[in-house]
Amino acid sequence: MSSISAKRIVAIALIAVFALAAVGCGEEEKGPFRIGVMESVTGAGETYGTVAVQAKQLAVDEINAAGGINGRMLELIVEDSKCNAQDAITAYNKLTDVDEVKIILGTSCSGAMLGAAPLAEREGVVMFSGLATNPDIAEAGDYIFRTSLSDATVGVDTGNVLWADGIRNLATINESTDYAEGVRRTTTAQFEKLGGQIVAAESYPSDTTDFRTQLTKILSANPDALHIAAQAEASGGTIIKQVRELGYDGPIYADVVPIGTTALEIAGEAATGVKAITPDLDPANAKAQEVLAAFRAEYDYVTLPWFLGSAYDNVYITAECLKKTGDDQDADGFRDCLYDITWSGTIGVDYSFDDKGEVVGLSNAVLEVLPVAERTEENGGYRVLGAAPTN
Amino acid sequence: MSIATGALRNLQDVARDPRSWWQRSKGNIELWANLIVIGWALVFMLWRGGGFAITVGSVFAIWAILAVSLNLVVGYTGLLSVGHIGFFGVGAYAMAVLSSNASYEQLRTEAIPTFGWPFFAALPFSVILAGLVALVVGVAFNRFRDDIYVLVSFGFAVIAFTTFLSWRNLTRGAFGIHEIARPAIGPLVFEGELEFLALLLVFLGLVVLIAWLIVTSSFGRVLTAIREDEEGIQVFGYHTTHYKLAIWVISAMMAGLAGALLASWSTFIDPNSFVLLESVLLVSIVILGGLASIWGSLLGALAFVMLEEGMRFVPFLPSEFIGQIRQVILGILLVLLMLFRPQGLVGRFKL
Repeated sequence: MSSISAKRIVAIALIAVFALAAVGCGEEEKGPFRIGVMESVTGAGETYGTVAVQAKQLAVDEINAAGGINGRMLELIVEDSKCNAQDAITAYNKLTDVDEVKIILGTSCSGAMLGAAPLAEREGVVMFSGLATNPDIAEAGDYIFRTSLSDATVGVDTGNVLWADGIRNLATINESTDYAEGVRRTTTAQFEKLGGQIVAAESYPSDTTDFRTQLTKILSANPDALHIAAQAEASGGTIIKQVRELGYDGPIYADVVPIGTTALEIAGEAATGVKAITPDLDPANAKAQEVLAAFRAEYDYVTLPWFLGSAYDNVYITAECLKKTGDDQDADGFRDCLYDITWSGTIGVDYSFDDKGEVVGLSNAVLEVLPVAERTEENGGYRVLGAAPTN
Repeated sequence: MSIATGALRNLQDVARDPRSWWQRSKGNIELWANLIVIGWALVFMLWRGGGFAITVGSVFAIWAILAVSLNLVVGYTGLLSVGHIGFFGVGAYAMAVLSSNASYEQLRTEAIPTFGWPFFAALPFSVILAGLVALVVGVAFNRFRDDIYVLVSFGFAVIAFTTFLSWRNLTRGAFGIHEIARPAIGPLVFEGELEFLALLLVFLGLVVLIAWLIVTSSFGRVLTAIREDEEGIQVFGYHTTHYKLAIWVISAMMAGLAGALLASWSTFIDPNSFVLLESVLLVSIVILGGLASIWGSLLGALAFVMLEEGMRFVPFLPSEFIGQIRQVILGILLVLLMLFRPQGLVGRFKL
C-alpha cells in the first residue's frame, strides 16, 4: 500500500511539474499583444474620439473572439489625449513609459497628433491615426501614418466639384478650427486655380449659435453657391437652417460635418439637396455594411460612418502586421509592414501608404442630402452621387 | 513659507517626543494636507518612475509658476483675475513665433514669418512682451474692482484667445505652430526631458524667490493692505493704483515666462491650450492651495497635477469611460474641498 501511494505521489508531482511548466511557457507566448490608443475622449473632439475608441474596441473583440492573432489576444490601452498638444504629450508618455507600448493608434485631433508626433518620431514609436486630417501631419515623420485623408485632398476635390458644377462666384463660411480652416483654404485655393472667384468669406468661433449677421453679409455679395466648413455639427446644421430662412435658395456645398445626424436634425428640410464632399463608405462595399451593422448591434447608434470604419480598419491592419512581425515591441518591423501593406477593408479596396505615411488609393465621394421623408437611419439622410471629378 | 518652517519645527518635535506630537497634530489639517499631497507625489514618482514621472514633473513646474504668479494678484492683492491665461498665451506665442523653424510647404496660402531665434534670445522678449501687454491692459483695469474686475479679466481672456485664433498670418490660427526651439547654451542642448525638467525647476525656484522677496518686503505689505482696505491705505498717502499696476505687470511677466517654457517644452502650440477653461482651472488651483500663500500655490499645483495624472491608474474603469470619469471625480473633489475648507489647503484668507 505504502509503495503504491508513494509512486502515486511521484506521478502526481511529475504531472504537476510538467503542467506548470507548460502553463508557464504558454503564458510567455500567449500573453496579449498590447497596443496603445490615444483619442480625444473628452474635450473638443469628444464626438470623434468616442466613436473611434468604440470602433477599435469592436474590432479587437471580433479578433479576439475569432481566436486572436496566431493564438495571442490583442489588448488596447486607451488614454485620453483631449484635443491639444500638452495632454497628448502626457498621454503619450504614460503609454510609452508606463505601459511600454511601441505602437499607438490615434489621435482624433490633429493638434494632439502634432504635439505627440515629434516624440514618437524621436523615440521610434509608431503613431497610426484614422481621423487626423491636418496636412502638416504628412511631414511629421517616418513613424507617423494615417488612413484619414488629408484636408488638402478634400479641398482639392471640393474645388473640382464646384467648378464642374458650373459655380463661378463662391461664398465661404467656416468655423475657426484647424480642420475647418484647412478645408476652407484648400478648397478656395483649388477653386481659384481653376478660375473661380471668392466673393465673400466669413469665419466664426466654435461656440457661435447665431449666424444671421454673417450670412446676410455673405448673401449681399450675390454668390452662385455657398460653401460651409464646420467642425461641430450643431453649427453646421444651424447655418444651413438660417441661410434658407434668410431666403437663399442657391446650392450649398459642405464638408462632412454639416450633414452629420445631429446637423440634419437641426436643419430639417432646409438641408435637402446640400452636397458634401467627403470620404464616404461605398454603398456597394459589403464589408462596410457589415461593420456598420455590427457597430449598431453593439452600441445602438451609428455616427460618422467613415471615421468609424477608418478606426475599425486601423485595428485590422495592425493585427495583420502583428501577425507578420509577431512582436508588439518591434516598431521598426511594424513600420516597414505598413509601408508594404495593401489593404481592402471598410473604407476602401486596395489602399496602401506612400513614403510619407499618407494613405493612397482612397478618394472622396460627393454626397447629396435627401428630403426628410426619405431619410432613414440606414442611409444616414443622404445618398452617394459618386466619386469627385479630378482635374 | 511659514508652513515650510512649521513643517521643520514639526520634524524636530517628532524626534523629541513622538507621542505628544501625535496628540497635538491629529487635528492639524494643514499638516495632513502637506503630508498627503507630498507623500502621494513621492509614492507616485517611486512607483511609476522614469519618463512619465518626468513629464508629470514638467507639467507641475509650469502650472506651479502660473499659480504662484496668479497668487500675487489674487491672493496677496485681492484682485480676482480670470484672465491670466491670456498672458500665458502671449508668452507662448511670442516664443513660438520667434523661435519656430517650420516651413509649412503644404498649405502656405498666407505668408507666415519665420525668425528662427534661439530659445534664450526669445525668452526675455516673450517675458517683456507679456509685461507690456499687461501694462496696457492694467491701466484700463485699474479703474475696476471686485466683481467688475472678474468680468473685465474674463473679457481679456476671450480677446486673447480670439487673437491667437484669428491673427492667422502671425499665429497660423487653428493650425498651430510647430518646431519650436528647445533651449541650448553653447554645446549644451536641453533636448532630453530630464534636462528640461531641471531647467523648469530652476525657473520655478527663481519665480518663487522673487515672489517671496515681494511678499516679505514693504511693497508686499502695501499689497496686503490694499486687499484688506484700499481706501484705508490711500489715506496714508499711498498711490494704490501704482502698486496694483506694478504687481499686475510682474505677475503677467511670470505667466509669460511659464508660457514661453510651455511652448518650448511641447514644441507645438495651438489656441486650444489657452481657452478660458484653463484659466478657471488655474484660479481653482490657487484657491485650492490657499490664497496669499506661496507654499499653498506650489501645493495646489502639485495636488491638481497628481490628482489628474494619478487618476489614469484607477484600475476598474472600462476604457471608454476613463476620460469622462476622471473629470467628474476631479470636479467632485474640488467642490468638496471648497465646501469643507474654503480657505484652501494651507491658506490664510478667504475670498
